[in-house]
Amino acid sequence: MLDHLTFDQLSEEQKYDHFMDRINRDEKIEADDWMPDDYRIALIRLISMHGISEIMGALPEKEWVPKAPTLHRKLAIMAKVQDEMGHGQLLLRVAEDLMKPLGKNRDNIMSDLFTKRLKFHNVFHMASPTWGDAAIIAWLVDGAAIMSQTMMLDTSYGPYGRALKRICQEESFHAKHGESLVLSLAEGTDRQKQMLQDALNRWWDALLMFFGPKSKQETGHTNVDKNIKYKLRTKTNEQLRQEFFTKYIPKIELIGLKVPDKTVRFDEESNTWHYQDPDWNEFKQIVSGNGPKSDDRIRLRQSSYENTEWVREALGHVKTAVV
Amino acid sequence: MDEQKNGLNPFYEEFEVFSKKKEDGPLQYQFSLLAPNEEMAIVLAKENFFRREKAVDIWVVRRNAIRKLSQSEKESLKKLDKHYRETKGYADLNQRWRNFKEKQDNGTDEKKVEKA
Amino acid sequence: MSIESNKQELTELIYQLADDDFIHAHRGSEWLGLAPHIEEDVAFSSINQDTMGHATMYYRILSELGEGKADDLSHLRKKEQFRNAIILEEKNGTGEYLDSPNYDWAFTVIRHLFYDVAKKIRLESLKQSSYEPLADAARKMLTEQYYHLLHWKIWFKQLMTSTEEARDRMETAIKRVWKDFGGVLTLGPHAEKMVSAGLIEDEAALRERFIDQIQELFNEVNYSIDNEPLMIRGDGRNGEHTEDLEHALKTLSEVYVSDPQATGW
Repeated sequence: MLDHLTFDQLSEEQKYDHFMDRINRDEKIEADDWMPDDYRIALIRLISMHGISEIMGALPEKEWVPKAPTLHRKLAIMAKVQDEMGHGQLLLRVAEDLMKPLGKNRDNIMSDLFTKRLKFHNVFHMASPTWGDAAIIAWLVDGAAIMSQTMMLDTSYGPYGRALKRICQEESFHAKHGESLVLSLAEGTDRQKQMLQDALNRWWDALLMFFGPKSKQETGHTNVDKNIKYKLRTKTNEQLRQEFFTKYIPKIELIGLKVPDKTVRFDEESNTWHYQDPDWNEFKQIVSGNGPKSDDRIRLRQSSYENTEWVREALGHVKTAVV
Repeated sequence: MDEQKNGLNPFYEEFEVFSKKKEDGPLQYQFSLLAPNEEMAIVLAKENFFRREKAVDIWVVRRNAIRKLSQSEKESLKKLDKHYRETKGYADLNQRWRNFKEKQDNGTDEKKVEKA
Repeated sequence: MSIESNKQELTELIYQLADDDFIHAHRGSEWLGLAPHIEEDVAFSSINQDTMGHATMYYRILSELGEGKADDLSHLRKKEQFRNAIILEEKNGTGEYLDSPNYDWAFTVIRHLFYDVAKKIRLESLKQSSYEPLADAARKMLTEQYYHLLHWKIWFKQLMTSTEEARDRMETAIKRVWKDFGGVLTLGPHAEKMVSAGLIEDEAALRERFIDQIQELFNEVNYSIDNEPLMIRGDGRNGEHTEDLEHALKTLSEVYVSDPQATGW
């Protein structure tokens, strides 16, 4: 054990060792604790992208909020998109506390989004032209998100873990909402079924991309490994993608939909799903902000932010609390 | 007002949110939010953190009003074992009671034998 | 009150209540994701959900009165059949909710505040309604109204007492909403019969309470207005509406009407 009186006098190297000891003992790191820059940067990168993805993720579904077909659906999708904004709130708070020592706050997160320095998940760059898309997003995009979020529940960073716990509790409602939307269309008219199948076809590649490329062998990408070393996450992209197939492909087929990949099959021997890889160059293009709806969505977010600048400016100046 | 000194937008003040789930329950930390002042913070706290969860009371506190521990101070919370002031320091008691009980039982048996 | 002999004024009143909440919540829901502040976005959405939920309760009462399915009533009626006040159907600003929405937060704060003040007064009166299902619904809705008012009053007071720019925008919004807010305060062509059937109190009494309460809010922020709320663009209770409603109905029913064979969504 460390003599507490000397912590501040430790060398950077000793602090780092002490920090890694804590990680290896599964202790939780808190916002004000000493942490290596490498860890802080990895967290900021992961959590600000996660947070802003929730905020940007509200937009493709928002399209369907006023248009939702019944009173019940109008209420439910409003609640669901509201939750996404709420998840963005939780995650951005976590990211903002990490960025504070670097002199940054929410305004910087927004301007980084507008200049495309801050990236968001590939799925939220895609168009959602029909109600069928709203259903597929709620069922499968959320299903994929639930898997990756659940995997990180035990993350070494305490505030992130607490945010994820709140998020995962609400996601169980989202999962039901998504299933309910999809089942209604799958039970419906030929037109409704077709609408659902078309949406699945549109979303399949984006869903595979959602988990990210395989691993460093293929890409030279090291973020995932770093995230595992720091116990921010416990599974690789490919492990999650395989779990996704196992959970959803049988259900997709059960309700009469076709997976739009003729090569997809489960190999009993290797206990893995074989599938057609999506175009990973396209993935890079999309997450760099060059997807089909990237510019529209960023513009929508930016113009609404600028339109309400006067409000933040005004309330920043309310000095005495009005009773 | 530290925020203004940093040149950051004073709209974004940090508030910590606490709540009670039951009348007789303890106050629990929930999460933090950004708001320009405490009136706004409390009205935002309600829907940001208690849309589904029950709350019978909600508190908001400006973060800069809270004195926290530094990491060194937190390290000092890791205590040496002080068995003498915890129940687990007295784990032998059950066995010792059992010994007396056995002695008593055996004694009774001996008496029974004598009588017979 | 006998339902049979007062059916028309009863349903007319409930259509007014239902359509006001429905269209108002629709306009609110277009803001989702676009509010000035993320935390506020979440809070605002709860209010819109509550209001949409209230509309749903009213449509169900209409349905029980034999008017048809709640979803049909909200999604299939023509513009002229809607009974909401015109001020509630007005767009949030220029642009569309998906394409360059140039939404006006000051207008939204004022419209919501005034509406929630008027709605609370109306609900208090409906608690004594001779039609028990309506009285019962009003009692339930009132439990949510407290938060709505708290929320909008804080926004009103703070924006009215902050920067000069905010004050200007708010005053412009007050004048804009005032010109048509009379439409919310009226009970329309069947008012007398509604009152004589004991469904709700007299329009003049409700209106006076509204003006008193708004006056009080104005006083707190040193504001005053000379005239009373007007209804310059017509009476929505009488089926008079603007292009904005036409447009809103087209949007909100787009999916519902897209497959006439569909029995579920």
